[in-house]
Amino acid sequence: MMDSQPGRSATTAELTIATPEGVLFRLPLAGIAPRLYAMLFDTAIVLGVVNGLGWLVYAISAKAPGFGAMSITLAEFAIGFAYSALLEGLWNGQTIGKRLFHLRVIDQTGLPLRIEQAWVRNLMRVFDALPFAYLVGGIGVLSSPLRQRFGDRVAGTLVVRETPLAVPREESWTRQKYNSFVNYPAISMRLRKAATPELASLIQDALRRRSELAPYARREIYRELATYLQSEIASFPDELVEMLSDEQYLINAAGVLFGDQRLSKL
Amino acid sequence: MILDLERFRAQARPRWSKLESLLSALESRPDRRLQPAEAEQLQELYAQTAADLNRVTHGALAPELRQYIERLVARAYAELYYAPPTRSKVWQPRRWLRIFTAFPEAFRRQYRHFGLAVLITLLGSTLGGLAVLYDPAAVDVLLPADYLRNPGQRVDQEVKGQNRHVDSAQIEAAFSAQLITHNIQVALLAAALGVTYGIGTALLLFENGVLLGAVAVRYTQQGFGLFVTAWLLPHGAFEIPSILIAGQAGFYLARLLLRRSEDRAMRRAMREWLVLIGGLALMLVWAGLMEAFFSQHHAPVLPYAFKVGVGAAELVLLAIYLLLIGRRVPTAGEHANVASETK
Repeated sequence: MMDSQPGRSATTAELTIATPEGVLFRLPLAGIAPRLYAMLFDTAIVLGVVNGLGWLVYAISAKAPGFGAMSITLAEFAIGFAYSALLEGLWNGQTIGKRLFHLRVIDQTGLPLRIEQAWVRNLMRVFDALPFAYLVGGIGVLSSPLRQRFGDRVAGTLVVRETPLAVPREESWTRQKYNSFVNYPAISMRLRKAATPELASLIQDALRRRSELAPYARREIYRELATYLQSEIASFPDELVEMLSDEQYLINAAGVLFGDQRLSKL
Repeated sequence: MILDLERFRAQARPRWSKLESLLSALESRPDRRLQPAEAEQLQELYAQTAADLNRVTHGALAPELRQYIERLVARAYAELYYAPPTRSKVWQPRRWLRIFTAFPEAFRRQYRHFGLAVLITLLGSTLGGLAVLYDPAAVDVLLPADYLRNPGQRVDQEVKGQNRHVDSAQIEAAFSAQLITHNIQVALLAAALGVTYGIGTALLLFENGVLLGAVAVRYTQQGFGLFVTAWLLPHGAFEIPSILIAGQAGFYLARLLLRRSEDRAMRRAMREWLVLIGGLALMLVWAGLMEAFFSQHHAPVLPYAFKVGVGAAELVLLAIYLLLIGRRVPTAGEHANVASETK
């Protein structure tokens, strides 16, 4: 019914899901680093809880230290295994660490994971943690197109990235009062045709992060981008370009790329 | 690019926000059940948003917008197609108690894998026993710890040491917890090593068998047969079978992975594996308590015959439990799939 196959891309792994209705969507897969951070965070929580319990038990069982040690050892063991399995099972694939690092465990068909799967993938940790520091699991993740450690492969689960997204805002440069580039519709069309999505989002990011960049860096980046556009993509007349700062050049270009698409009307 | 992004965004934004708030409401609902009206609304919004996704996919200049819509579609898809377990299913104590009957049932369904685990362990212990019998030099290689190599010394220590043990329930309690966690970890590893297509499981069982055989022969040779039986049987009666069951779970997992391409009724198979592990963990809790509180007390305090008798009684009870409790034969409909896995 459902056909899922890994998408292939150089920097980020993703899974493409084809739904029964013929809709295709991609799920971004989590890499090693955020998963490691989330795990360390969860480990810290478990250790905190266990040590807290330990103090309590020692306080209560001062006269029976052996039974105190017994309950701590058993509690530590049980909490260590049950923490992730229970939280992932009941909290839709997230532990506290995973929530913090925007990760979620899901079934590899794109559906929420089931309780059995949560237990299986977490009990399999004894294998993935071999021989130390999750070496086996790390190799499993790196060697798998779906970024699965062995526990994930057995349970049929995936870890996806869930960075919070908002509806992208309308940017100021899409509604400029006057954009001098529109006086040259032919060159503007060439710009729009030749710009790859990567280049377009590069320009957009450069403008959007204006205030985050140091003045010197900003000047350099804007100059490089503007020079590249002018010399390689679409050459606007020199008399126009000379009057524009590099920044204004990029704002105009972004206006052409992302703004109202009906150039001729302007 | 034909699409006017701004106008498209303005037009579609209301339905995206509607879908988003509907999804947030559903996801925060613990049982994730849909009302009929909500299901209809969700279906409709999902279809519309999926269509929106198709439109921006071709207009590649809006990667962020595409990601946003993709996320919405993915979430809606998950809500629409997921059949959640009801809350009552998860929290019913009766269902948790089912482990006590489900465990022997699963054990019997997968008896072939148990047989394989027994076979490999027997092979290992025969080899270990023969090696010690015919080549005394093998002792140094096979038995790593000093106390295993020199039974006389060890027995001496044990018998003398028990005065220390007499009033030491505290030490025994701490000791039992360590035994329990250590044994469960080893057993879990044996079960998880099934992912190496059973090779790791087999090696672990074999090594375990060699050790067992070598110790048994070495102690018997030196005339401590009764002592070692009385020492090991009260907890070994549960500990050794539970390691074998861990091997069984490992081989079961290996078998599942080898038929990856087929439909394996994964959900049921996973539950079977988990039930085996849950059951053997409970057995190891008992074994750990026995080892710490009972096995370490020796002859004048507890006569050897009594200890051996207790161990034998445990074995009989365990066999009765594993072979007779729960449904005897898997009923045709429900367990047909799992039963056929083993054939």
